[in-house]
Order: sequence, then C-alpha cells, then structure tokens
Amino acid sequence: MKNRIVLFSCFILMSLTSFSQSISSSPYSLYGLGSLYDSDFGSLPGMGSSGIALPSDSFINNLNPASLGFMPLNHFMLDVGGKAIATTYENKTLTEKRNNFQFSHIAFAFPVTKNSGFSVALRPYSSASFKISDLILPIADSQETYSLTAEGSGGLNNFDFSYGYRFGKKLTVGVSAALLFGNTVDDRTFTILNSITTIHKRNDYNGVRATVGGQYVIESTFTIGGTVKLPSRVKSSKVQSVETTKDGVVTVIESDKPSDIDDYYMPLEIGVGVSKRFKNVLNVTLDYEKSLWNDTKQSELYGDFVNQDRFALGFSYFNPKKNFRKYWDRVRYFAGANLDTGYLEINGKRVNNASVSLGINLPIENTFSALNISYSYGQKGTVSNNLIKENYHKISINLSLDGIWFVKRKFE
Amino acid sequence: MRKFILLLFFVFTIFSCGTDTDAGKFVVGSDYLSVNNKVVLVDTVTVDMSTINIDSLLTSSQSRILVGNYSDPIFGKVRSNSYFQLSGTSYALKNSGSDTETANLVFDSISMILKYDNYYYGDTTQVQKFDIHRLTQRVKPNTEDSNFYNSSTLSYSSESLGSISYKPRPTEKDSINIKMSAAFGEGIFQKIKSREVTDFDTFTEYLKGLVLVPSTSNSPSSSVIGFHTSTSKIRLYYSKYKSDKEDSYYIDFSVLDIAKQFNSISSDKTGTLIQNLPASSSKLSSSLTNKQGFIQSGTGVACRIDFPNIKQLKYISNNGAIVDARLFLKPVNNSYSKEYPLADSLRIYVADNLNRLSSPLLNSAGSSVYGILNKKSDEFNENLGYTISIGNFLQKEMLKTSDSRSSLILMLPGISKSVNRIVLGDQKHVDNKIQLKIYYISY
Repeated sequence: MKNRIVLFSCFILMSLTSFSQSISSSPYSLYGLGSLYDSDFGSLPGMGSSGIALPSDSFINNLNPASLGFMPLNHFMLDVGGKAIATTYENKTLTEKRNNFQFSHIAFAFPVTKNSGFSVALRPYSSASFKISDLILPIADSQETYSLTAEGSGGLNNFDFSYGYRFGKKLTVGVSAALLFGNTVDDRTFTILNSITTIHKRNDYNGVRATVGGQYVIESTFTIGGTVKLPSRVKSSKVQSVETTKDGVVTVIESDKPSDIDDYYMPLEIGVGVSKRFKNVLNVTLDYEKSLWNDTKQSELYGDFVNQDRFALGFSYFNPKKNFRKYWDRVRYFAGANLDTGYLEINGKRVNNASVSLGINLPIENTFSALNISYSYGQKGTVSNNLIKENYHKISINLSLDGIWFVKRKFE
Repeated sequence: MRKFILLLFFVFTIFSCGTDTDAGKFVVGSDYLSVNNKVVLVDTVTVDMSTINIDSLLTSSQSRILVGNYSDPIFGKVRSNSYFQLSGTSYALKNSGSDTETANLVFDSISMILKYDNYYYGDTTQVQKFDIHRLTQRVKPNTEDSNFYNSSTLSYSSESLGSISYKPRPTEKDSINIKMSAAFGEGIFQKIKSREVTDFDTFTEYLKGLVLVPSTSNSPSSSVIGFHTSTSKIRLYYSKYKSDKEDSYYIDFSVLDIAKQFNSISSDKTGTLIQNLPASSSKLSSSLTNKQGFIQSGTGVACRIDFPNIKQLKYISNNGAIVDARLFLKPVNNSYSKEYPLADSLRIYVADNLNRLSSPLLNSAGSSVYGILNKKSDEFNENLGYTISIGNFLQKEMLKTSDSRSSLILMLPGISKSVNRIVLGDQKHVDNKIQLKIYYISY
C-alpha cells in the first residue's frame, strides 16, 4: 500500500516535469490558441479515439463524463500517458522531418457511491509553438518586402473535473467542468528597410467550459451515448513590448503594456456514439461529433474558423476463450480510424486530419492495470493552396492503473 | 509490476529529452501573419519644398583661400574675394652680424605662391584672372564678434600689386606663382632693412593685409578655385650686391592666424527665379520657383523641407510606429554638369518655422544623418539622387504633442568655404520628383 503511494507520487512528479516539456511545433500552431493535443486515455488512441458510448469500467473514458457512472465500486483508476510523434512536414518545395515527445495526460478516477464516479484530469490543451525564420513578405500595395522571424511558445492546459451518475442499470448522465488556462508567447522580429522591430507579446487565457453527457444501455451488447460541450468564452488579455532598433540603438516604443484582446470562443459541440459487441469477440464503436465554430463569430485575430465534423470508428478484439492463467489470452487488440474535417480554413482550404490506428492492451501481471500501446499514422493538411501537409507516425503509451482500494483488508 | 514501472520511468526520461528543433522554414498563411502587425508603406505624405536665405555664413578660419567667380543662368553671378593678413616667419635679413654686410643686401623680387587645395568649381578650361590688392584697413571684424562672414568686406586700394591670368589646373599642378610689383617688394625690403619693421606689429602696421580680387571686367573667369591657407605664401627674394657668390636669400610671409583670413562671397541673382529671396526667417515656396528648390554654398541659399501632414499618420492604426523612412531627392535634369558637379552628400539640419537651426539631423544613435548621392545612373537618371534616412525624425514629429513642426534644412557640405550649387525637384516636379517612403508598423 505504502509502496504504491510512493510510486503514484513518483508518477505525478514525473508527469509534471515532463508537462513543461510538452512541445509540439506545427506551422498550424500560429492559429487560434495553437494546435490542439489529442490526449485520449486508456485504449482510446488505438480505437481511432472513438468511445462516446464506452463505459469507464476498465479505464477512464475521457470522451464522456457519463461513463463514470459505470465505474466499478472500490476501484481507483489512474491513467498517465505520453506520446512519441515523428512528423514529416511537406510543402510544394520542401520536406522536413521532426521528432517530438510529449506528455499526454494524467488523470485519476474513483467511484463516489455505487452508482456514481468522479475523475480529475490534467492535460495539455494546445500548443502555440511555431517558428518562422527570415520569411520574406510583401509590403502591402508596393513592390517592396520585409523580413519576418517569429517564434511562438506556450499553450493552454486543461484541468477537468467530471462526475457521472447512473440511474438504475441502464442510464448514466455526467457533467464535467474544464478549466482552460495558460499563456502563449509570441516573439516577432520585423526587418523593414534598415530597421529591426521586435514585438514581444504574451497572451493570457482562462476560461471554464461545461460538458454534459449521457449513456444508455439499450441491451447488454449495445450502448449509445451523447455529449454536448457548451459554448464558452476564454478570456484573453495580452502584455506587449515593442522595440525598434535603428543605427544600433534600441528605442522602446511600448514596454510591458497590458491590454485586452478579443476573447476566444469555444463552440457548441455535439457528439453521438454507439458501441456494439459482437459474439463477445469484437466490439465496434462509432462516434460522430459536430463543432459549430461558425456561430462563435471568432475574431479574425485567431484565424478563419469553420464548422467541424469528426468521425471516429474503432474495433476492439477480445479472446473469446479467455483463460485468465494465460497472459496472451488476456491481451486485447484495437484498430480504428479517425476523420476530422478541421475547424481552420486557411487560403480557402480546410485543414483536415485523417488517421488510422492500431493498439494493444497489455495487462500488468494479475491486476486490472494495463499498459496501452497504440500506433497511428495520419495526415493533416494538404500541399495545395500553399498549405503544409503533415504526415505523422504516433506512438501513444498510456498506463492505466486500476487498484482495488476501498476494500478493507481482512488480514493485514 | 516493478518492471513496468521501470519501463515507464524510462519512457518518461525519453519524453523529457525534448524535441527536434524547428528550422522555421514551414509557414502557412502569410496573410494571417499581418492580422496582428501590418507593415505599411506610405508614400503619399505631402512634402513641401522651399528655398531660404541664410544671412551670414562664417567664412573666417576655414583654411581656404577661395577666389574666382562664375555666372550661371540659375543662380546668377557668384564671386569670391579672399582677404587675409600676413605674418613673417622672421623680420630680419640674412647677415653674419655686421651692419656693412646688411647694407650690401639688395631686393631681387617678390611673388605670391598659392598652393591648390584641390577644390574647384566651374569651368577650369577657361582662363581665370585675378589681382592682388593691398588692404587699406586692418583685418579686423566690423561685427561685435571676432568672426568674418561671407558678407564681410574690407577696403582696399585700387592699385593692383600683381595679377595672373591662367588656366587653373587644381588637381594636376601643385601651385601657381604670381609675380608681384617690385615697388611693393622693395618697400617691404627697405622697411625690414632699415629695421623699421622688426616684428609682427610693425609689419602689419606697414602691410595691413591683402585681398585677391577676381577680375570682372572684359573676360570674367568662370571658375572658383581653392588654395591652402597655411602653405600659401609671399616670398621675397634678396641677395648680396656685387657678390662673387650668387647667393640668394628669401623671407616668407604667410597667413599664420587663420582667423585673419576670410572669403567674401557675393552673388547677384538678378534675373533668376530666386532673385527675390525673402529675409532669412522666411521662405520662398517651390511653387513660385518652377517646382524647384535651390542650394548654393557660400552665398547662403538653402533648401527647406516641411512635412505638414505628418501627424495624420497617427490615425493609420490605434497603435503604430514609423520604423524607417527614406526621403529621395533628385537633382533637376540639366542643372548639373561636368563643370558644376553634384556633391557626394547633403548636410541636413533641423530647424524651426523661422529657419533657426537647432541641430544637425541625427539618427537614433545620435550621429549626423547625411543625404547620400546614389551615383548609379541609369539611362534616364531615375535613380540619381540623394537618399536621406529620416525615420527617427518623422517618428518624433508624428508623436509631437505640441503644434510646432520642425523642418529640415538642406545644405551642401562645405557651405562656408565653397560655391557648389544644386537644384532639386519638389513633389510636383515632372521629371525629378521628390519621393518620401515611410515604413510603418501597427502593433
């Protein structure tokens, strides 16, 4: 028992140290609050991130708070994960490979009563890391150009609290509150004629967003689920310094001046999902989610936002003749696909994202804990319309620990 | 369990190792980049040009004897007389101590040796003629200060002590030699011989100074030449009377005090566009002078530039700054030639509305900004002109809260010791328009 506490605290510590290291740099991070992380828990990454209708019975399902209503009593779950991503960036003329390691999440969940559960999760929400080196840009309405070097860093974190409650045996409802907070730093250097102007900007963001969800077991092998993420406003402000260097002398134009900027708006998002088990061998999950970005009237400060559709399909395979004494009989396998039309429109073109995934769930010895390893390959964006295509190979490793903690041991 | 923990520890160690660096070559959506910070080039700001008259240019202590004149249809007639006071290196004749020996010394000749200082302006293929006259008053300023100005004059005797007609070759030759009146030389020689002149005071009492006066009569010269003040001299030769040895001696007289040498530069603008230049605190708009601005060194003609609407740039965006600006001034076609070449640079001063200069135009580092001639000439001389970097000046002007506006006064280098001139086109000039490009960033 004590041993475990030490180990858990060790995890939390490690997670927090790597939290600060979680940097993903994508050219698309320039927009909005940065590029969004997908940090799904447990086996979800292997299932194409589908699972709105899945219960939180063997891992914490972050897709639907209602799933917590199905948490088995006396269990304490912890989920921690990280990702290794190899991305190839490609535009019309160049390709470049970059590897990236990032912390994905840390979450724990426990049942509150025999028909309700609670979870807390901390994960990065977005990364505003990007870099632009000596980009030559035209000065509007002239034949002349200037050069821009820019670097973005920082991003938002998501700290959420979820609660799920089960009515009877079939219906659960859940609610979660996500705290979005963090800041992004944007440094730009403009070389215009013989002058160098640097603009250092720090944007601070904070907001709260609520999600409600439900799951309904139609029959023992067939569950449907739904989530509604409510629109919300992420309050934004900035602190900016502007300096111009000419003739080797720096002139401060503005120093650490705080000001309000247009707030960022999160859209109404509606997701539905089904989960169906076939012959106790295969489970199929299918999700659809729609995000109504058009209605947010997002400021042009963040880019052009369009309504987004997401489709996710997942399969999980169980060994039907499960022999608990044989390790490989208990291993489960996953496959999935995800299609995301994207919410950004750049140069009149949507930045879509499509991926396929494979996963494996390796139980840890004779516990309910498991190590989930999944691999996915995907493409984001396109080469046409001066966009950039990102081809990525991603390995997600999630450790889902499940301990039976709330049982009084009869013998110590 | 334990080995999984170890595995995890290992995995996180890798995660913490960080990420490949991004070379920054991939950029998507260049248009979006300008949403926050727009870079704008403003080239429609009004630039007013005018010509002003600077009252008095200090011309003493300039270390140049400037003599000559030229006449051109744009600026009229220009002439420079050069006044100076002479001192001897010694006021004693060569002797071995005995008076008899001194009595045997006789005057031979006297001449003025003027060393070219490489400055010339005008047509040096034409013969230049000037005369040397004796001053009838001491080289002492009439003004309260101890300086002489381009307008200063001193009285001199009409008798010419020496005269030269020559084709100036200021870069090929070292000096010119003007034979001076023997009577004048004999006079000095006798004063020294008789010990009536023994030191500087007695010498200047006798010879108050000289003036070089270019000839204006039948064939006026068409160039102005500069000579070194310190190395130019008058040399008086003498020798022993009926000596076996043909020993020859000399005494040199030169300008030892450069404050006692000045050039009186005058101009006659009758019949030109700028003949009615107003008083020094006023200006003559380029709209009245055929869309041109004028500068002439020596005579005090300068060009003034105003930016009447610069404060309106504040309204381009809520927050914006002028990060750089470039003023491009073009000399008017056919106003310059091989004889009247363009100066390599322009001197720029900041002045108030009454043309009172406050300082040279400074960049942010506090050093002077010059207008630099772009010599790369193309077929139509479109790129020939002077570039002045005025970003620092305009940013300050834009942000000025008071109503007062500063203007820029353009002059040529060596304004006090040369006679170069230039004609610049204003903003409405057909061929040689002034151009102003302001680089502005919103933040």
